[in-house]
Amino acid sequence: MNLFASKDDVIRWLGELLKEHVVIAPVRVQEQTTFQPISQVEDVVFDFNNTALSPKGWFLPPTETLFSVQRDDGKVELVPTKVERDAVIFGLHPCDARGIALMDSPFLQEPSDALYRERRSRTALIGLACRQAQPECFCTSMGSAPDDPSNVDILLTEGEDGYIVQAVTEKGKALLPKGLAEYKGKVPAPPKLEAVPTKEVVSAMRELFNDPYWEQVADRCLHCNICAYVCPTCYCFDMRDYADKGKVERVRSWESCQSPGFSLTAGGYDPRTTKGERLRQRFCHKLLYFPEQFQDVACVGCGRCVRDCPVNIDIREVISNLKQVTEAKSGS
Amino acid sequence: MDKELIQQIRDKARNLLKEGTVEGVIGYERASDDLTSRPLFAYSPSDTERLIFDETCAHNLVKYLLDKKGKKIAVVVKPCDSRAINLLLNEGQIERDNVFIIGVGCPGMVETNWNHKSETLQAKCRTCQLFKPVVYDFLAGGEIERQAEEETYSDITEEEAKSVATRREFWLEQFGRCIRCYACRQVCPGCYCPVCFAERLDPLWVGIRIAPEENDMWQTIRSFHLAGRCIGCNECERVCPVDIPLSLLNRKLEKDVKELFAFQAGLDPEEAPPFATFKKEEVMEFEK
Amino acid sequence: MGPESPFTPYLATLKTATQLTPDIKLLSVELEDPDIKAGFDYKPGQFALLSAFGEGEAPFGIVSLPLQKDGLEFAVRRIGTVTRALQELEPGDTLGVRGPFGNYFPLEDYVGKNMIVIGGGIGMAPLRPVINSILEQRDDYKELLIINGARTPQDLVFQPEFPTWMEAPGTKLELTVDRGDEEWKGRVALVPDVVKELAPSPGNAIAIVCGPPIMIRFTLARLRDLGYKDNQIVTTLEAKMKCGLGKCARCNIGEKYVCQDGPVFNLEQISQFLEQP
Repeated sequence: MNLFASKDDVIRWLGELLKEHVVIAPVRVQEQTTFQPISQVEDVVFDFNNTALSPKGWFLPPTETLFSVQRDDGKVELVPTKVERDAVIFGLHPCDARGIALMDSPFLQEPSDALYRERRSRTALIGLACRQAQPECFCTSMGSAPDDPSNVDILLTEGEDGYIVQAVTEKGKALLPKGLAEYKGKVPAPPKLEAVPTKEVVSAMRELFNDPYWEQVADRCLHCNICAYVCPTCYCFDMRDYADKGKVERVRSWESCQSPGFSLTAGGYDPRTTKGERLRQRFCHKLLYFPEQFQDVACVGCGRCVRDCPVNIDIREVISNLKQVTEAKSGS
Repeated sequence: MDKELIQQIRDKARNLLKEGTVEGVIGYERASDDLTSRPLFAYSPSDTERLIFDETCAHNLVKYLLDKKGKKIAVVVKPCDSRAINLLLNEGQIERDNVFIIGVGCPGMVETNWNHKSETLQAKCRTCQLFKPVVYDFLAGGEIERQAEEETYSDITEEEAKSVATRREFWLEQFGRCIRCYACRQVCPGCYCPVCFAERLDPLWVGIRIAPEENDMWQTIRSFHLAGRCIGCNECERVCPVDIPLSLLNRKLEKDVKELFAFQAGLDPEEAPPFATFKKEEVMEFEK
Repeated sequence: MGPESPFTPYLATLKTATQLTPDIKLLSVELEDPDIKAGFDYKPGQFALLSAFGEGEAPFGIVSLPLQKDGLEFAVRRIGTVTRALQELEPGDTLGVRGPFGNYFPLEDYVGKNMIVIGGGIGMAPLRPVINSILEQRDDYKELLIINGARTPQDLVFQPEFPTWMEAPGTKLELTVDRGDEEWKGRVALVPDVVKELAPSPGNAIAIVCGPPIMIRFTLARLRDLGYKDNQIVTTLEAKMKCGLGKCARCNIGEKYVCQDGPVFNLEQISQFLEQP
């Protein structure tokens, strides 16, 4: 059963949620929209294109302390970071919600990542269906849709004079404000998106692993980390210790397979030394290794990498090219 | 789009490849948005049909010469980009004989993002005084007549007038957004250390935390490594995914170096950056 | 109580640190928690991540035998910041241990076979528990040939054990160095050349090879020249391992995560990888 909430209802509701939860929502920072814990509901942006960074950072923060090392009289104790409060992420587009669902596969696989698991179980996701698609969007080719409710607890869809509210999970139902009226009208149709030929992509990746194509595309790659850091499903990380003024901590930070030294061992061995090998690693992880390990392709079609790559390495074009090269090879 | 200019670039590139003068030509082609442009690596004469040039060709392609060391490569360079060639020649990173420079006069680049093209010139182009490459083997399209529209360092002077506390607050806020994606480094023709200090563990200069203190350290050292070496292509600011105004830092240093040493990077391949040389007459005040 | 998070190491105490070569120390480490110590089961070839708190964590093969519960042993070569910090620890100091991780040498599959164990430099580390396991169950295996190479005589690891290895029945230890010194009377030759010279028969044999990449490459070629099939040649892969859990996505070679699927593979398996190490 769908419910209806006016924008004022939603704002009041967020105000209520803010009393007991950390609320992470899209806000404007300079010219960009980005997810941040809010201190006041007025800052929340309702109408936005995909945010600068995806909300994955709530579960896998750019930087976090895994544990701190406490020494007392020579005795060492490791104190793991605790998740203090329940949280709500408000306003995720369905692609971003799918990104979180995909990250669950590696992080919740046993032995699960304790901090990720804890944050995940204590965070509710309130999605916002997309009424408009951007030219870089291709979620429908990547297992989701602008109105996909499957990875959120509650989905809001903007209708006339307010929002149509769909409680998807029990967790979502428990979070709903009381007194919302039933909505019997039509739910507006989602925008149509152009299709990307993803059907045979996993087998094409395998087939073209040694194809010169990768060195060709990588020619223009700068090997920065933009694509990985804006991506809702890239999850590589690094861990190092910090020892500062007697305080010792083990820190985890984002890292990307495009970084120099990413796969270089202390002994000086690096399995990937060419630009093509490094760029191929990123696409292989998304379109081959991840699906072979966890079924799904590790891309949600949010278009952020398309939008932000300084040299226009466009994953949709790569997928199409793979198809063309495979077809050319098989002579069909 | 200047069709004649593009034809000249294509003809030159095709001939260079046909004659075997170069192995490849680095230029620009249309991007996947069918509106802006992206780097193109042409290896066969037929690839050259994809070459274009217009006000969206912002990328400084000189950076890519560092990936092609030891190979004969032609590269399309705008006037500001051409200064990077002199920088890299001076620092022994590239060999003049290996590079064929297809210079283009520059009409100024507009602000672009994927699928977005503004009518406004980029800030660096509004203050640019260089309309012809400082070094080239072939100049496509001939010389361009233009006038700088703004005073070069007006924004820097404005910043300098602010208090240290105000500037500090401003930069900490800016660096607070940095995600250490290193796009600024990766795109910079002057950033080519085999192991960047940011990745060096022993000694450790800056930790892996993506947090204001580390970001501050990263950005400060990055800009200081470019003091007297930054050639002003402003690619770092253009590619920054969180819009940090890096040109303010780079140009402040450029201005200081100009005032202290009467030097601008990349104008002359024979003259080394001030921090790479020592001249007897440069006695610092504390030594007097 | 086990660690709540798989990233929290077990606490351990450094019992002894023995200088094996100028840059390699043998660390004997005892887990603090008696239950964890009792439950810490591992096999030759598996590795653990050692923490020098304040510097970080790095992977090391466990070089002791599984039966040795009170002293997990690791051969640590000074190569970077973490290994330097580990070497600077004093007996009684606390360090962290996570593991055991990865697969192991399937020694039970090699029962009844001639064993050729070839190690170069620190590459002998994961082979030491292989050798000692074979010697523990000496009757289960046929001939054992150990070829151990190093840059100089000083760099040969596990020298205190050489007499035991030499005297064991049906066992031969062949030492070689790249560069001798005044006292060295043994071989001065590269490991692949020693393999060629000794030409151990491929009949009913398994060769286990570990060492620097260049040594491995040429040794494998010599073994193939001798008629060894790819499924008779076993090695351990080196990769940048950070988490040990298949999560940080760093150590993959193609679709294989070295920290989970490896590090032990035979050449037949490796030849089927998409990406070649």
